[in-house]
Amino acid sequence: MLQLSGVCKTYGPESGGYVALRDIDVAIADGEFFCLLGPSGCGKSTLLNIMAGFEPASVGSATFDNDPIVGAGRDRMMFFQDAGSALLPWLTVEENMRFALRVRRIPKTSWPDVIDKYLTAVDLAQHRDKFPSQLSGGMRQRLQIARALAVEPKVLLMDEPFAALDALTRRRMHATLLDIWQNTGKTIVFVTHDIGEALILADTIAVMSVGPESKIMQLFRLDLPRPRDLADSELRKTAANIEALLAPEIDRSEARIA
Amino acid sequence: MASTGIKTAPASIVSVYQMRMASIWRRHRSLGLTIMSLILGFAGWQLLSTFVFSPFLVPPPVRVIRTAIPMLLSGEILHDVLISLSRVFVGFITGSIAAILLGVILGRISTLHDLVDPIIELLRYLSPTAMIPIAVIWFGIGEMSKYFLIFWGTFFIMLVNTIAGVLRTPIARQRAAQCLGASQLEIFAYIVVPSAVPYIVTGMRVAMASAFMSIIPAEILAADSGIGYLLQNSSMLLQTDRIFVALLTISVLGFLCDRALRLIVDLTLTRFTLPA
Ligand SMILES: Nc1ncnc2c1ncn2[C@@H]1O[C@H](COP(=O)(O)OP(=O)(O)O)[C@@H](O)[C@H]1O
Ligand SMILES: [Mg+2]
Repeated sequence: MLQLSGVCKTYGPESGGYVALRDIDVAIADGEFFCLLGPSGCGKSTLLNIMAGFEPASVGSATFDNDPIVGAGRDRMMFFQDAGSALLPWLTVEENMRFALRVRRIPKTSWPDVIDKYLTAVDLAQHRDKFPSQLSGGMRQRLQIARALAVEPKVLLMDEPFAALDALTRRRMHATLLDIWQNTGKTIVFVTHDIGEALILADTIAVMSVGPESKIMQLFRLDLPRPRDLADSELRKTAANIEALLAPEIDRSEARIA
Repeated sequence: MASTGIKTAPASIVSVYQMRMASIWRRHRSLGLTIMSLILGFAGWQLLSTFVFSPFLVPPPVRVIRTAIPMLLSGEILHDVLISLSRVFVGFITGSIAAILLGVILGRISTLHDLVDPIIELLRYLSPTAMIPIAVIWFGIGEMSKYFLIFWGTFFIMLVNTIAGVLRTPIARQRAAQCLGASQLEIFAYIVVPSAVPYIVTGMRVAMASAFMSIIPAEILAADSGIGYLLQNSSMLLQTDRIFVALLTISVLGFLCDRALRLIVDLTLTRFTLPA
């Protein structure tokens, strides 16, 4: 269980700084597919970084399985939108996998099996000798997934992982991710600003208000089987509700700019 | 029908010929242009020194080459070239190693960086040429003063580039490695240093060019051997043709060294310069 209670985050001086998050309470169950949804700049990455342990909360507590989150931990694997900068461009696909296994201190004898298993799972086994720059955007993200899974974390923290991909590739990545999620039972915290993406993927959608002092406005639970179709009437109703919730928020932030 | 056949036949032969010429040109375009540029350069030089300037002030290329041949055959040029090269290499290699070692440390320890940075910012405006007078006093006119001057020029260029490369290591790359379980030392060795390689390579090319530019004044003012000394000596004897031989030697040498550096980088470090 990944739990945040009363989390605030202030950037800059403690008083007078920018209050990005205010009083965030979330509890994410093991195996849950949890989406953080909100407009750009509302603090989704900040929240995810707190869960990862990259940044401390200014106030409040963040725990994983009841242990306080301090620094990056091996059970929580962050997954970045820019795969090019998250991977090691000077290593081939297979060497990137080896790098993960080496720093994770996994015995060398099991490397070939682990590498085969996860590269096959993301359909990259026949590209193992290519460098990341020789892969397409979607393939690079699949390599990032394979590398993350190879070290068997309990939680995947994904920060708008597919936002830079074209729509078709993104759809295929959704299918791959759901497949992996259903087969492995990992907890996934998935950040997105795309309502459709959240509806296709999530068990729970947490809708955030715009900053400063962003909060989680409402949780939407979706108990529908997958693969889902956005034309489904319940999804359309939820989409309308979320849009109704976000529209005044976006107006508010635009009014502040004007 | 028949008449069109007769008309197109020669036309198609011409066009096949043109296409072949065009494709040969396309394949060897840059080589062709390089050769043409050199020929035009030498021809222009010959014309200028024959018709515009006095051949004493600007000796024509033919005379320069005639002067160069005995100097090449007697080993005189080679001797000076080797001396200058060895000075460049000792200074360049030691300067690079020192700067890379210090640079990766300063790039990682921000307090230390902020403490040392103002000093670096001031010192890097002291070009090697500006340091010649004091270097002569410190080290005399032996090899040591030249090593020092090249070291000095290389060090600051390499230091600034190395620090920039370390600081620009993508934060996502370091955080991903952290999640995978890498220790701070592993992140430093496997992530930060390799990420800085493209910047270090760029720094090496700039520093190499700078080393070639600073060895000459150093040898003019404080040496009794080397290409710079050849220049200085020929100038005192008003031997303009020997001056031009020395100038030509410097250009060719600098060019060859840069190509050699690029080749070595391509052979050893290519994978670290791949795009992300
Ligand atoms: N390191 C930082 N220092 C100061 N302000 C920051 C920092 N990181 C993020 N912010 C601010 O916090 C707010 C939320 O940012 P972020 O979490 O990146 O939003 P999102 O991921 O939802 O687009 C933004 O207004 C951003 O400018
Ligand atoms: Mg973000």
